[in-house]
Amino acid sequence: MQTRESKIKQLIEQVWKPARYMGNEWNAVIKGHAGVDLRFAFAFPDLYEVGMSNQGLKILYESVNRHPDMLMERVFSPAADMEDCLRNSNLPLFALESHKPVRDFDVVGFSLQYELSYSNVLNMLDLAKIPLYSEQRSETDPLVIGGGPCAFNPEPLAPFFDLFFLGEAEECLPEVLSLYKDLRQQGHPRQEILARLASQEGIYVPSLYCPVYSDSNFCGMKRLDSRAPEMVNKKLVEELDTAPYPTAPLVSYIQTVHDRAVIELFRGCSRGCRFCQAGYIFRPVRRRSREQLFETARQLINNTGYEELSLVSLSSTDYPQLERLINDLDRELSQERVKCSLPSLRLDSYSIKLADKLHQGKKSNLTFAPEAATERLRKVIRKNISEEEILTALSDAIDAGWQGFKFYFMIGLPGEEEADVEEIVNLCGRLRQHFKQKTKRKITINVSVSTFVPKAHTPFQWEPQLTMPEVHKRQEILRKSFKKLPGVDYSWHDAGSSFLEAVFARGDRSLAPVIERAWQLGCRFDGWSEHFSFDLWQEAFREMEVDAEHYAYRRFAHEEYLPWDHLHCGVDKEILIREHQKSLEQRTPEEAAHDQDLF
Amino acid sequence: MTRICFRFVRKEQLKHISHLDMMRLFQRALRRSGLPLAFSEGYNPHIRFNLAAPLPVNVTAEEEFGEVFLTEKTDPKNFLGTLARQLPEGVELAGAFVEDEHAPALPSRVVAALYRASLIILDESETVDYELYREALERLLSKEEILAPRARKKGKKQTYVNVRPYIIEAYMNNQESEYPLELNLLLQTGSQGGVAPGFVLEQLEHELGEDRPSQANWKLHRVRLYRDVNGSLEPLSEGM
Repeated sequence: MQTRESKIKQLIEQVWKPARYMGNEWNAVIKGHAGVDLRFAFAFPDLYEVGMSNQGLKILYESVNRHPDMLMERVFSPAADMEDCLRNSNLPLFALESHKPVRDFDVVGFSLQYELSYSNVLNMLDLAKIPLYSEQRSETDPLVIGGGPCAFNPEPLAPFFDLFFLGEAEECLPEVLSLYKDLRQQGHPRQEILARLASQEGIYVPSLYCPVYSDSNFCGMKRLDSRAPEMVNKKLVEELDTAPYPTAPLVSYIQTVHDRAVIELFRGCSRGCRFCQAGYIFRPVRRRSREQLFETARQLINNTGYEELSLVSLSSTDYPQLERLINDLDRELSQERVKCSLPSLRLDSYSIKLADKLHQGKKSNLTFAPEAATERLRKVIRKNISEEEILTALSDAIDAGWQGFKFYFMIGLPGEEEADVEEIVNLCGRLRQHFKQKTKRKITINVSVSTFVPKAHTPFQWEPQLTMPEVHKRQEILRKSFKKLPGVDYSWHDAGSSFLEAVFARGDRSLAPVIERAWQLGCRFDGWSEHFSFDLWQEAFREMEVDAEHYAYRRFAHEEYLPWDHLHCGVDKEILIREHQKSLEQRTPEEAAHDQDLF
Repeated sequence: MTRICFRFVRKEQLKHISHLDMMRLFQRALRRSGLPLAFSEGYNPHIRFNLAAPLPVNVTAEEEFGEVFLTEKTDPKNFLGTLARQLPEGVELAGAFVEDEHAPALPSRVVAALYRASLIILDESETVDYELYREALERLLSKEEILAPRARKKGKKQTYVNVRPYIIEAYMNNQESEYPLELNLLLQTGSQGGVAPGFVLEQLEHELGEDRPSQANWKLHRVRLYRDVNGSLEPLSEGM
């Protein structure tokens, strides 16, 4: 007889990139399951290379594993070849550190980073042989929890989860896990434990709330247990300097998407771009001290051997003492040839100056996100930067020797007209002209255009998404016009996947059967264009008789109940309404007036 | 400047990673170690470090070599101890010595490698017929041409290369073993062309056709590397 362990070893040898499943990385924490009171499996519903680039994973790994009486292990979505191997050999999904079945853990926690990973969530539950629906789970099944940005509107996934965690978990996750363990040891039944957990800050137990519909219109949540709060507030880390942060994080053997040491300058963002969910759900801005960042960076490099240190935040150049921090880090780390990098740059001269300081070597590409091509539309979305500022910043960048630029734009933004779309091409043409006047070097321009997706808890949550035929039309306008503009490389996002993202971003519980059906039909890795099948999703919507366009294309009214109204992101709805109204006023007077009629 | 050459073993736990992963593993371990590393010149400085020969994925190894340049005189013993503390389970250092700074780069010296392939039968009711394997191997080696697809550049036509000359020796291992069957493969490797052991085993299974066990795996182990000394092969370890 072969043991499970030896069978797993054989599977690992049969698949592409076996290192995705083997664990044993540098700084991996390996604890005996018998020696702890609580076993937590962190499940990331995407490939290893993607999940291992997630800083949240590394923070929670530190937060849980620093406690001697509990452990956290990792599990990622297996690629298609591994899925086949697991199914053919009838082996349950296993965690990386111990290779033990995921269903043998006490708690399984999914990281919900993007809507297009939902089919993978179901697939992982199924591969783990854990019942898909919360109500089907027995006393011996693990508690299935979810957190991350998508937990701020988790309704489409609600029936599959025992509870969701809203907000930042690094301080309180060990407390919640410990409380769960105590309640289990006291012998309470599963549903009673959930009701007791529901009173904890940041915890949302969907089974304690029942959506009420009238004429198939959602009109609020009915609480089924008085211990469930009417409004679930997000959990917030007050002081980042004292919260757990990994100084000896996992170092992968295989190359991951972001393969580098990371320090987080601050959390939250004060810019207030109206389309940006992260800008709202991570409020308020909380900074780490420069001293602590320096110390963390030093330890990170010592403990990982990384050759790159990334200074991340939603808008890193807003960190008040950034220049001084970079100077200090440079002095400390240049001897070891460690490079510092800033992933998010604003289009201003200060940012260019900093980028210049960081890249002493070959200057390849700089990336910026103006999002909209006209000043009017940038005002509407509150991305306040003038064309003059853009030109000045780019001139500085050319002078500093940069070879090329990548620009991110969006189409379908609220208040957008066809002229705004054409202006994307015109702006790039003007930039190209400008570069030609400034330098003889060949400057490459890459333009990536995505489609606006209205997200919960933003001022644009009421706005409809541009319909797919219209998206295709505007993409075609861009494609044709960019063709006439040599030296500019244009790429765009698939309209179908943006549509699906919008459906789930503003969806309610009626979508759960659709996700299940799409998964049954074979949907996996929907965020990967080579795997995404819009046809299968459409079939799932048809079979389940759910009108997807109702979620994506409808203009929601300020007065109506939203599926996430019982979840509080830290910003009151009144503020979102005010911001939304301001954006309407910033369109042309005629259009603003026209739009107001709809409310 | 001190050039240190070291020997290491790769075990089961780390056999799943690629050559580039192994390079990164050592480079990061060296960076963590605090040893006085020498860097290359230029805009993108990197550690002056080499592995003797790429080790294929899913292959363990007995006697591999690496080299690194240090800016300060360092005792090989201290080097071993310092680096060993930064290496994960699955890579074990087995020795180190100071090498002539101007000797040719380590990878350029390797011309061949000896692999041992052990057959693992997953279905215990199946038996292995030694004679069938011996005959299949004979048939394979009697060919004048064994074509292997070459790595193809995007948009380019698939081309093939005859790898038969790169199979220097292949024979059944008659020594006592825990496996039902073992093969030794002495294969050319390095800049003059080579063939992967996995490809040779695939061809052997192709020769076996219907006769091969339905559920079997090969376990591959690289026994040693060879250098060329006046036209004859000598273990790389012997010149060191």
